[in-house]
Amino acid sequence: MQTLLATAEVFLRSGFVFSLIAMGYYISYTLLDFPDLTVEGTFLSGAAVFAILIHHGVNAWIALVASFLVGFLFGTLTGILHVKLRIRPLLCGILVSTALLTVNLIAVSAGMTGDFSGESTSQISYGRGAATLDNVFPINLIPPRIPGLNLALRELILFALLAILFKYLLDWFLSTKRGMLLRATGSNDRFVTTLAKDCGNSKILGLGIGNAYAAVAGALYTHISGNVNQSMGTGTIVIGLASLIIGLSVFKRVRFLRPSTKVILGALLYQLCLTVAQKMGVPSAYNKLIMAVLFTGALLLSRRGRAAKQAAAGRE
Amino acid sequence: MLELRNVTKIYNPGEVTENCLFQDFSLQIADGEFVSVVGSNGSGKTSMLNIICGSIPVEKGELLLDGKDITHLPEHRRYEQIGRVYQNPAMGSCPDLTILENLCLAENKNKPFGFGRAVDRKRAAHFAEMLRPLGLGLEEKPDVLVGALSGGQRQALSLLMATMTPIRFLILDEHTAALDPKTAEIIMELTDRIVREKKLTAIMVTHNLRYAVEYGSRMLMMHKGSVILDKTGEEKAAVTVADLLATFNDISIECGN
Repeated sequence: MQTLLATAEVFLRSGFVFSLIAMGYYISYTLLDFPDLTVEGTFLSGAAVFAILIHHGVNAWIALVASFLVGFLFGTLTGILHVKLRIRPLLCGILVSTALLTVNLIAVSAGMTGDFSGESTSQISYGRGAATLDNVFPINLIPPRIPGLNLALRELILFALLAILFKYLLDWFLSTKRGMLLRATGSNDRFVTTLAKDCGNSKILGLGIGNAYAAVAGALYTHISGNVNQSMGTGTIVIGLASLIIGLSVFKRVRFLRPSTKVILGALLYQLCLTVAQKMGVPSAYNKLIMAVLFTGALLLSRRGRAAKQAAAGRE
Repeated sequence: MLELRNVTKIYNPGEVTENCLFQDFSLQIADGEFVSVVGSNGSGKTSMLNIICGSIPVEKGELLLDGKDITHLPEHRRYEQIGRVYQNPAMGSCPDLTILENLCLAENKNKPFGFGRAVDRKRAAHFAEMLRPLGLGLEEKPDVLVGALSGGQRQALSLLMATMTPIRFLILDEHTAALDPKTAEIIMELTDRIVREKKLTAIMVTHNLRYAVEYGSRMLMMHKGSVILDKTGEEKAAVTVADLLATFNDISIECGN
């Protein structure tokens, strides 16, 4: 029972964290049809910014906002490459995430030791004593000594609240005129042009938000791993996209759930699958392989849903 | 007054497939004119519309609006004064948004798209009033996705949305071509009524010679990038479908068909 609970904590915790990437992908991939590879870079950037600021004693919430802004900035860079320089989506992501390999390395080195050559340190680890989101307002209001409420459970509550907060932020944005214009851009950009609006701006904004969400996920992930290292972004694209596609295809017929909610559920489901595989004794070295297989499964699942929909509409 | 002055348009310049469509092409369209444009495929009708809207660049020449040079005004800025309906009914609306959402977006044209709520439920009644005269039943399903509508329904919606905010020009690019004859008739009558009521300057490209004859105050026939027939007023009223067909035949013979 105890181990089951601990396992549940682990998959829920990572599920909530990675749901942020998936929500970001909901904007860039689902709405704008832009397969954004920048995310691996911005995930790490968000983590680095957050950890550096925490290390220097900045309030954790301000650090989180800073991560959000940095992710947004790099996302808009991808958007600008695509819109202004007319570079293909995949290449834009590759270019920016490649550039970010250097930027992140230098940022960690310079942020921790002031060395801009990038040779002093490539990692950040902060001890449990650091003033992270756990022990600043309002999470510190939860008394530390409630029976059964250990550190992991506190983090779980924190991550769940943050996932819900960012979900509502996304829902709100998409209900605004700006957000509707972004949805319209993904649906039919000619129409947006005839509304006398530059659809490039919507794409740039959308990529900014998508990467801002990924950066926040990166920042939160440092809680789970306790450190920042230069390879932690690897695989986040697959996690994000698979969570998104699983969520949207599994809960396709559930009318009363908003897409953002489905995406969070998808992220949880994906992490559940990974955890179950681990509990069945699959060595963790097989993790990435399982991820790819799950992703393929999700893609097939979503295609079957689409075929059924087309058949229902009388189209072959 | 909209004026194309000595416009030259070359497709694929410098390549083997180089094709000079317009050479020193000039055209003036006065305010309030309803111009119907006919012509064979490749005669430059749609290219002309695209040049006016800024969808394609020109190699030489100027585009003047009330004497002001708009040749280098980006496409989306030109639509501040232009409404456009395409041949493909899917182009004039967003398939993944509902009818109400589409209408709310269209109504907000030329206003800032900020962080206010996009969908105003209170406008639904007003929109229903607007949709009811179409007789297509659109007023009863504001929450249906536009992608689920028929071509005729989407085209009617596109036309309404293109003209629901104050504009000066209405660009119609074979907007009845993809519709069945009865729906095409409905859309054409609706177009004529809107152009009259809102006193728009309209340019309509069509392959339907009867529409070109029956509607509009001026008619152009284009061939190989130039205007070969330009009739207004009385002259335009006197033109018959038979005349147009005869001219078309002459062109074909000239081309060796």
